[in-house]
Amino acid sequence: MKHREAPTRIKGQAIRVSSALLIFAVIAVCALLSGCGNSNRIIIGTQTFSEPKIIANMYKLLIEDRTDMKVKVMPDLATSTVVLDALTNDDIQMASLYSGIILDNYFPIERTNDRASILRQAQEGFDKHYGLKWFDSYGFENTYAFTVRKELAEKEQLHQISDVKDKAQSMRLGVDTSWLERAGDGYADFQKVYGITFGKVYPMEVALVYNAIATNKMDIVVAYSTDARLKEYELVTLEDDKHFFPPYDASPVIRKEVLEAHPELQEVIDLLIGKLDAKTVIDLNYEVDVNKRNEKKVAEEYLKRIGLLK
Amino acid sequence: MMEWLSDYGAFLTSRQEDILIALRDHIYISAISIILGAIVAIPVGIWLAGSRIGWLNSTVFTVANVLQTIPSLALLAILIPLLGIGRTPAVFALFLYSIMPIMRNTYSGFKAVDPNVMEAARGMGYSRLQRLLRIQLPLSFPYIMSGLRVTTVYIISWATLATLIGAGGLGQLIFSGLGVNKKELIVTGAILAVILALAADFLLGLAERWVTAKTRSTPASGTV
Amino acid sequence: MELFFRYVRENWVDLLVFTGQHIMMVLIGLLLALVVGIPLGIMASRNRASARIILTVANIIQVFPSLALLVLLMVAFGLGTTTVVVGLFLYSLLPVIRNTYVGLTQVDKSTMEAGKGVGMSPLQIMLQVQLPLALPFMLTGIRIAAVIAIGVATIAPLVGGDGLGREIYSGINMNNSARLYAGAIPAAILALLADLALERLQNATRVAGR
Repeated sequence: MKHREAPTRIKGQAIRVSSALLIFAVIAVCALLSGCGNSNRIIIGTQTFSEPKIIANMYKLLIEDRTDMKVKVMPDLATSTVVLDALTNDDIQMASLYSGIILDNYFPIERTNDRASILRQAQEGFDKHYGLKWFDSYGFENTYAFTVRKELAEKEQLHQISDVKDKAQSMRLGVDTSWLERAGDGYADFQKVYGITFGKVYPMEVALVYNAIATNKMDIVVAYSTDARLKEYELVTLEDDKHFFPPYDASPVIRKEVLEAHPELQEVIDLLIGKLDAKTVIDLNYEVDVNKRNEKKVAEEYLKRIGLLK
Repeated sequence: MMEWLSDYGAFLTSRQEDILIALRDHIYISAISIILGAIVAIPVGIWLAGSRIGWLNSTVFTVANVLQTIPSLALLAILIPLLGIGRTPAVFALFLYSIMPIMRNTYSGFKAVDPNVMEAARGMGYSRLQRLLRIQLPLSFPYIMSGLRVTTVYIISWATLATLIGAGGLGQLIFSGLGVNKKELIVTGAILAVILALAADFLLGLAERWVTAKTRSTPASGTV
Repeated sequence: MELFFRYVRENWVDLLVFTGQHIMMVLIGLLLALVVGIPLGIMASRNRASARIILTVANIIQVFPSLALLVLLMVAFGLGTTTVVVGLFLYSLLPVIRNTYVGLTQVDKSTMEAGKGVGMSPLQIMLQVQLPLALPFMLTGIRIAAVIAIGVATIAPLVGGDGLGREIYSGINMNNSARLYAGAIPAAILALLADLALERLQNATRVAGR
């Protein structure tokens, strides 16, 4: 009669297991729901490199300190394009973006190298077409920088990008994952403007290009100009002699409706406008990228040091 | 609908070089991992099936199980500081993943060989090598094949993560597509990976039937 | 190595929060898979034709690369936890469905006959005979699903989700091995613990004398 008893014993256990799971479910769903639909909360999204993460955490501290709003930071969104899409879809409400992004066909623009004009077009265009408020710049620009090792620059007398034209076929180029695909200021247009094609191209996370070039796994990389590792590894940036890259001034961007619903945010966001110059930002990046410290702590320390946080 | 299809067709043609490179890299990474996995796992599985050292069995299986259970991204991540980025760590991680299923199926296959058949073979004067080649391998072949097929599908799917550590492959299309919001890239990468996995499974199935027909032995019933 | 220990010491609260988020996402995804998958498995066990369709569809989902599925789901559901949970639900389906199906169909016909003989209705046979006997199989399915779900959940940050994958991505993106390990090792341990715990549960429900 083992068959008759065993199922009953198992049934008892099955009931216990399923009740436990059910209780978990209820708790879980409650926890999840309590996190959603919170209109006093905004999400600041960031790209994958340290700079916007540090700034996002600065804003989190400032906003939570000076208003009664809550802030969640959503880092590591694959590229600025993803960030912009997330802003448009209301998946996030605020972010740091770079003015040169207008070259990627978001709305009709007038191609120019004038810094002020690009910023103005970004502000007007994203307001009109996307309902975003693009603030004035923090005070620094972070642009693409073709970079080589110092020895190579000295040996081959490389000062500007055009200098690599003859050697390009034998060079290994490391780039961030989106540069190959970008319209307007990506590899395709670069090839047209400079007439340079590289032998082998390797897309990777931008954080990896610095080490890759320093350890000779790459010959030339497209790095970010405010990255602290440029100095750390003694890398040389080649001058953009054909002015291919547009200006990339960094600014906070927020959904207009959020600003309208919470006008107190305007004041807080203004706290950092014009206050971060390239040198400051490079030093902050250094703390996170070279000294491997947590960006939250670095942001907090900095704000306390300049007296914006007690 | 027609317009969408022709747009997609135009996209495919314009990007065919990138797509083919991604496909080639993906096949390369997957194939090497599985072949290396088979080279290690099959002999180990055979040996364990024949060995009487209890603790060795459980240790090897436990280690292999642990490697299998660890999330793929975690395993890839753990290897980066040790092996750097690029193909090598990707292949190594996938190789580690492939060991368990192949080894377990080989082991089951060999264990399933009827001891009486082995006795008869010994009685007939078959040497150890002959027993291995003429009896054990043919009889356990369906099990080994099943393990290889499951592993192949599994590895091809997980190889898409290789792109996160710079190893290229179809994941590259997916990731690039994500980065610049080009859905066609994402879909192409995904669909190619699925087709590749199903095609590999199908081809291995054909190979299995061909080998079985050639050796004229009746496959043991019950695939794992 | 000491960088790693220092990092964990300084940030253990965050790591705990990430672990909690990770577990939560997996639990919800698994639960949804059970709610949908078990009935589908039951259906498949009663009807050959539906079995083929259900198992084939579930198979195709399983083969779909997780990176791609999550990204495509993001297009529909946006960034965030919802996308991840839907993805986890989808990946947990096949193990649950297939193991329910196998578990139910392997129940000895004579046992079911005995039930009918005692006057049980088909529903009662299902609830009081088949399901309990299929439980070990179903638990195997849950175990496999749990390990897979924990693995897929590590990719969550790519589509705006949370969990231990956050530290792994931060580690990769900022070239910081301490953070990498701070995310990867707990994720690995979580998967191993889940596997172990569910194996115990599975063994506990195994019918004596199988």
